[in-house]
Amino acid sequence: MLRRVSDDVTEALRAEQQRFEAALAEVNDADALYELQVQFIGKKGSVSKLRGRMGKLAPEERKAFGMAFNEVKKAIEASLEGKHRAIKTLQREADLGRFEDLTMADTMSPVGSIHPVTRTRRQLSRVFRKLGFDVVDGPHVEHELYNFDKLNIPADHPARDMQDTFFVNGPAGETDSNLVLRTHTSPVQIRTMLGRKPPIRIVAMGTVFRKDDDPTHSPMFHQIEGLCVDEHVTMADLKTTLYRFVGAFFETDLKVRLRPSFFPFVEPGAEFDMECPFCPKDDAGAKLPDCGVCKGSQWVELGGAGMVHPKVLQACDIDPQEHSGWAFGFGIDRMAMLLHEITKLGLLFDGDARFLEQFPC
Amino acid sequence: MLISRQWIESLMSPAGGETMSDEAFGDAVTSLGLEVEGVTRFGDDLRTVVVAEVRGIEPHPNADKLRLVDVFDGERTIKVVCGAPNVPESGGKIAFARLGSVLPGGFEIGAREIRGVHSEGMICAEEELGIGPDGDGIMVLPSDWQPGTPLPEAVPGIADTIFELGITPNRPDALGHVGVAADLAVKLGRSLQPPDASLADVPAAEGLVSLEAPQRCGRYIGRTFEGAQVGDSPLWMRVRLHRLGLRPINNVVDVTNYVLMLWGQPLHAFDRAKLSEGRVVVRLAADGEPMTTLDGAELKLAASDLVIADAQRPQALAGVMGGQDSGVEAGATTLLLETAWFEPGFVRASARRHGLNTDSSYRFERGVDFGARLQGACATAEQLLCTLAGARVTGGVEVGGQVPPTPTITLREARVLALLGMAIPRAEIHRVLTGLEISLEPAGEAAWRCIPPTHRPDLTCEEDLIEELLRHYGLDRLPSTPSLPSEPPGMRVDPGQRAADATARLEDAVLDAMRAENLQEVLAFAFTDPADLEPFGVPADRTVKVTNPLRMQTSVMRTHMMPGLLRAGSVNVARHARAVRLCEVGRIYDWPEASQTFDGATAEVDALLPRERRRAAFFLCAGSREAAAYSGSSAATIAASVLSRLGARAAIRPARPAASWLHPGVQARVEVDGVAVGEVGEVHPDLMAQFDFPEGVRGYYGELWLESLRADHVARHQALPRFPSTSRDLSLEIPIRTPASAVTDALARAEAKAEHAQDGPRLAQGDTAGGAIEIVEDYRGAGVPEGHRALLLRLHYRAPGRSVTDDEVQALHGAVVQAAVAALCADVPSIRVR
Repeated sequence: MLRRVSDDVTEALRAEQQRFEAALAEVNDADALYELQVQFIGKKGSVSKLRGRMGKLAPEERKAFGMAFNEVKKAIEASLEGKHRAIKTLQREADLGRFEDLTMADTMSPVGSIHPVTRTRRQLSRVFRKLGFDVVDGPHVEHELYNFDKLNIPADHPARDMQDTFFVNGPAGETDSNLVLRTHTSPVQIRTMLGRKPPIRIVAMGTVFRKDDDPTHSPMFHQIEGLCVDEHVTMADLKTTLYRFVGAFFETDLKVRLRPSFFPFVEPGAEFDMECPFCPKDDAGAKLPDCGVCKGSQWVELGGAGMVHPKVLQACDIDPQEHSGWAFGFGIDRMAMLLHEITKLGLLFDGDARFLEQFPC
Repeated sequence: MLISRQWIESLMSPAGGETMSDEAFGDAVTSLGLEVEGVTRFGDDLRTVVVAEVRGIEPHPNADKLRLVDVFDGERTIKVVCGAPNVPESGGKIAFARLGSVLPGGFEIGAREIRGVHSEGMICAEEELGIGPDGDGIMVLPSDWQPGTPLPEAVPGIADTIFELGITPNRPDALGHVGVAADLAVKLGRSLQPPDASLADVPAAEGLVSLEAPQRCGRYIGRTFEGAQVGDSPLWMRVRLHRLGLRPINNVVDVTNYVLMLWGQPLHAFDRAKLSEGRVVVRLAADGEPMTTLDGAELKLAASDLVIADAQRPQALAGVMGGQDSGVEAGATTLLLETAWFEPGFVRASARRHGLNTDSSYRFERGVDFGARLQGACATAEQLLCTLAGARVTGGVEVGGQVPPTPTITLREARVLALLGMAIPRAEIHRVLTGLEISLEPAGEAAWRCIPPTHRPDLTCEEDLIEELLRHYGLDRLPSTPSLPSEPPGMRVDPGQRAADATARLEDAVLDAMRAENLQEVLAFAFTDPADLEPFGVPADRTVKVTNPLRMQTSVMRTHMMPGLLRAGSVNVARHARAVRLCEVGRIYDWPEASQTFDGATAEVDALLPRERRRAAFFLCAGSREAAAYSGSSAATIAASVLSRLGARAAIRPARPAASWLHPGVQARVEVDGVAVGEVGEVHPDLMAQFDFPEGVRGYYGELWLESLRADHVARHQALPRFPSTSRDLSLEIPIRTPASAVTDALARAEAKAEHAQDGPRLAQGDTAGGAIEIVEDYRGAGVPEGHRALLLRLHYRAPGRSVTDDEVQALHGAVVQAAVAALCADVPSIRVR
């Protein structure tokens, strides 16, 4: 019996299929699988080539061969697809089998931080802006006219001894330049009153200098000072503003107390204390006496305050009969130390990274 | 100043009702503005120390220097071993600490065997009881004192509470007990009971005092005494002075100190026998005239110093300190007592000139009374010199010069309300002011004409009187009723404020950006060591110098931010092994060469001030274990990131001229829109050594100049590209030291100058993250000539409204490269396209 061409081709087809199945068993990654796909059913694949021989078949044989070809090709495609899925599953399992020890992650890299004094300045500035104050600053090197004279601290008056002053040489080295490193932020009051007309509501914040250096005094430190000049401004207004400030700053209701005192640029003058916000409390919320900040007195001294002295207003061309004003001031460094429980002033200025990194937020 | 509660109480009418606690007393004093800074209670532990009588003395059987004393303590006779040489004869009185007494310092008196003899109790010296400085011998008490009397009863002042007051410079009246008592009496509703202020009636001592400088001495009372016996003061006086921190010296000097503490009036007693011609002249010193003070200091006087001279030479620097020659010592019998008022400003000037700050100058420069209290002080001293030193007043004279005018102040009730926001009842106004010895008479409706007493030089205007009312009425009565600002805050836009706000926002933004770069903010001192600033190129005569620095290390205002950061960095490297990443926002100071111009109300003063510029700076330094963690590029990247957070795109360009404080090969300038805004680079190794960094440790630095930056960048939206970009690569061979920025700048310039079709392709940000011109590779090695590198660049092209064709991109790219390379080769001929 004559062997038909179609039998040969079909046989070759079956042989390729078997070869494919054998090769497929060896494959276990996606790249090899793709290669296999190309090798057998790609454009020039060994199976695809067999299809080209269909033209040599008798027309009656073509149908049977065509069916056989499609059957084989589909089977191969199905195997490829199955293998593909199996590989994916294996890959996924392998991927999920990974382990990484995250407990060894670097959590100690240096983290940026803002200095506690700056942080406190910002907090103060936020609160006072909310209370309707503009925030201003001025030069660090000041003229005695603004640092003393116009603040009713005349030359050769003992009130100048209240602040140990650094003097500054003039541009030609002259030592009688009348320049100083500002001893307080009060010259900014003068600058503001000279430059603006009432109503004035400002806080001046910044660096000040005094010739003092011991464990509790730094020759450079920071102050904030508030000034309000308007018609009908009273000392009661001052007390109320201070009360609102401490309440807003510590976010709790704290009493404010004034005690008479003397600052040459205010009259009447006072020191102001706030109710201690740092006292430890018992479970019922009652204050315990062993407070390291107020030492059980319930009060924390904050700073000085008073009604702007008429001579100061006059020195700034403001008529004290038409306008009145109040001012207050206190130290920012101490406030920062209280807030962050910093025990040594020196830590603020020597820049030890181990100190700074404690204030990352 | 220290005050004795007992003494204050004795100067006021008795309190009704219960005795105030020391705490309440202190609170009352503080409420007057005389701040209590410390309280010490003395003498309660001395109630078991009693007056005792010596009944017999015999030698100690086993010790030469000890004796056995029979002591009668009012109840029984006790045998006590005593080592003091000055035990009085039988019948003499001593202070005896009974068995069980606990003396100051916690020393408990028990029964003891002393060299084989039983002893119960102790005969005491002043020092052992903490009531005086004398520890050389035991106290011998007046022989008429009653045995058994507790010592604190026999000597007032032993049991007392001492308050330390911080007296502000406006209150010279409170620098004596009378002044404090006067103020307190008004507060407590009691009345002042001042000591007798009348002077003995004596013949006028003509020529005793010549006042040649009446403008400097407003009043001078001279009183002469004879027959004085200089010796120890009585125990009560010694105790009182000791409690108030003064050392008893002799009865005459002690009297002047006692009166100082009582009236706040400094006095001076001269040994009149030592005064040439027995008289004094109040005159200005001759320039250079010598004087030796009581404590032996040699002064060279100035022509504006006021002196109390005798007929020949200065015997005291007026109001400051007496002279050595005429001081009262043992043996003096004739005295001249000076009670005077000297002009405050000049006393202060003299005290400062000669570096003498005395109890006397302290009071005179603040202003003592020239009225009733001055005379009271003189009277008390006179009386005490007579009773305690046995002196006789023989004559007196008073001369007067210029005293400050006494102001007349109108006080309006309406003004009280307007200033305080609180009305004070009229009766209270009356009570307080008259209580403070302010005379007042009605001046129209609800107003008074007031004349303050001469001991209150601080009361010069209406507000001063209102403060007096407030002090006494109570600051705790101020109500909580604020007056509202006449305009809602935030509605006013002051141009100066706008600038201040912008500056503050910029500083905040830069600092936050630096923190985001994991930098830690430090605060360095604004002044530094001149040596630290030498490398930074500001000539010494342009630096701002502190006239009176604490130390050389803080004597000049910084002209650069780097020294402060290096100092902190160096401290850190010495203390630990971590990486150091520090930053600071601060100011630098100098005298600019060109004068600055200012406007506004403060321009005149501003023109006299040095320039202050703001800088944001940072410093990086790897910890010792990770030496290679940073490079100059780290600093450049941080600077660029910080700027990007301000909305500015940084360009890092070669530094011209190079900064001498940075490594010559590792530094650059930071630019925004072609304007220099900072510098970055590696800290010069010499500087690292100068600041004591260990050898081999490299530091990196960057700074931004805040005056050149602005906050509040408002980003403007640009339409997203709708068509893909196309890129062309370019490989250039350039010398290693030719900055890449020179190449990219040349390409950008060439592209800008090239011809462009209206809607044709342009060099533009591509679809990758880099810019329009990306540096893909910086290759050095095989195939590149010595000293050169190959820069592989990728240029991105895009047309805004359409897809571009390869041909048009190729045409543009070719033109750009050709022009750029031609331009580059003009400077550096070895540059070529690979």
